[in-house]
Amino acid sequence: MRRGLAGYLAMLPIGVLLTIGFILPIGIVALYSVMPPRTFEMTGALTAENYLAAFTDGYWRPLMWSALGASLTTIICLIFAWPTAKALESAGHRWSTAAAILIALPIFISESVRLFGGSLFLMPGGGILAGSLRAWFDLSIGSILNTRLAALLGLIYIHFPFVLFPLILGLSLVPKDQIEAAHDLGASRWQVFWQVELPLAAPGAAIGALLCFVLALGANAEAAILGGQAVTVATHAIEQRFNYAQDWPLGAALTMLVILITALVVFPIMRRLDFDRLIRR
Amino acid sequence: MSRRLKAPLLAAWLGVVLTLLYLPILSVVLASLANTRYMRFPHKVWTLDAYREALGAHDTVQLHLTSLKIASVVVLLATLIGIAGALAFARYDWHGRRMFQNIVLLPIFFPQPVLGLALLLSFTAAGIAPTWQTAAFAHLVWIAPIVTLVISIRLYGYDAAQEEAAFDLGASRLQVFREITLPALMPGIISGALFGFLLSWSNLPLSVFTTGADTTLPEWLFSRTATNYSPLVPAVAVIATLSSALIVLLVVVLAQAAKRTRR
Repeated sequence: MRRGLAGYLAMLPIGVLLTIGFILPIGIVALYSVMPPRTFEMTGALTAENYLAAFTDGYWRPLMWSALGASLTTIICLIFAWPTAKALESAGHRWSTAAAILIALPIFISESVRLFGGSLFLMPGGGILAGSLRAWFDLSIGSILNTRLAALLGLIYIHFPFVLFPLILGLSLVPKDQIEAAHDLGASRWQVFWQVELPLAAPGAAIGALLCFVLALGANAEAAILGGQAVTVATHAIEQRFNYAQDWPLGAALTMLVILITALVVFPIMRRLDFDRLIRR
Repeated sequence: MSRRLKAPLLAAWLGVVLTLLYLPILSVVLASLANTRYMRFPHKVWTLDAYREALGAHDTVQLHLTSLKIASVVVLLATLIGIAGALAFARYDWHGRRMFQNIVLLPIFFPQPVLGLALLLSFTAAGIAPTWQTAAFAHLVWIAPIVTLVISIRLYGYDAAQEEAAFDLGASRLQVFREITLPALMPGIISGALFGFLLSWSNLPLSVFTTGADTTLPEWLFSRTATNYSPLVPAVAVIATLSSALIVLLVVVLAQAAKRTRR
């Protein structure tokens, strides 16, 4: 009984913080999303008009771009992260630690700095890449800066570590002797990957993929800095509704749609994960 | 593919990944060493002029102060909240712990700009004008769960038997917490605090919507990348990154020293 009480007391500070700072704001957005268009009060008659407008007025387009970008980013990051995790595993302990730290460090450098660097690198004419090629190889190249491709590359660049590190955690859960055993029993490389490693590493891969998808779904700096005007993403569309159009209810409805997609992805996966087991070991 | 071929291939792949990860960061450093208004690489003159200008500018100091204010408040509160939260997350056995774990993880598995926009709407609806304080609150909502998680990971590897032994020897609840639990958690607390600091310092998606008239470093860089480019911008980016590294280094050195004196 006493121990039970300690648990409730200890959860109180963060419980209060998340109630005021997370659950309540989402509730407010939900309420605004059913208010009459272009109103600023939370007491109007309830309406579904904003959600209808979100689909009929072409706002599904930014939502679709964000969902597509997030899906592609997740898949590509997973494909890149698998051999990287394997390489870190097979390198000697000291090397693999050093490399892992080097990969993790950029997470703590601001997105704006890293994406800015990406744009400086890709810039046409006097950019780092184009300028170097012209000066040293007398080669003139075009630039992918301000295209959807550049925005996608930015998304992959920023979110790669978020896939890699959970995947490493997942791979560490795969018993080495089980892989050996599968090899000894005559399983092909592909069979081992598909039937032994992947299922056992799945919890880690799932966390990484989930984190990547959700973060990329709301991301807007990549499209702003590297994508130029080539693509309008969900967050940008919402911001425009809030700030320039002064249409809070429509902005709120779009926000709710992004939250809905997030919830549809997060809840089913989260229910299957056992964090006690995953972290404790 | 033979085993002999596999190892060099994987090492080469690792080299490619690291190069790609660091190319943009290197690009910022290279761009800062020019004195021309427009970017024309390779520079005709390589110079540190931009750094001189940046260090002398009032803006640079102001931006650092704003970012520092927010990060300090966030680290202090997030660590306190995180220590308690981690005990509830990983140590105590209580009804509803499983649900609590999921709720704590939700803000981490949530698009940050969407959280920023939801908070902005809420602040505005409540008549609160956004300033650096509202931004600190927004950071806290995201960072406190992360610090909780980091300390929890440490807690999972901690043997509670020591606490039981101390209780049996007649120690009070407070004594046990101060003499046994807290020191055992210290590495987790320090890494949690460092994580919190760095994440707040470098955060763009929450700050962009919740700082109002105040501006943080990442926000300023974000706005200046689009318009008004000059070598000053990459120079400030380098200075901002180095100052956060310096602060982290300082904390690590101090923590090591404190550990040594305690022994």
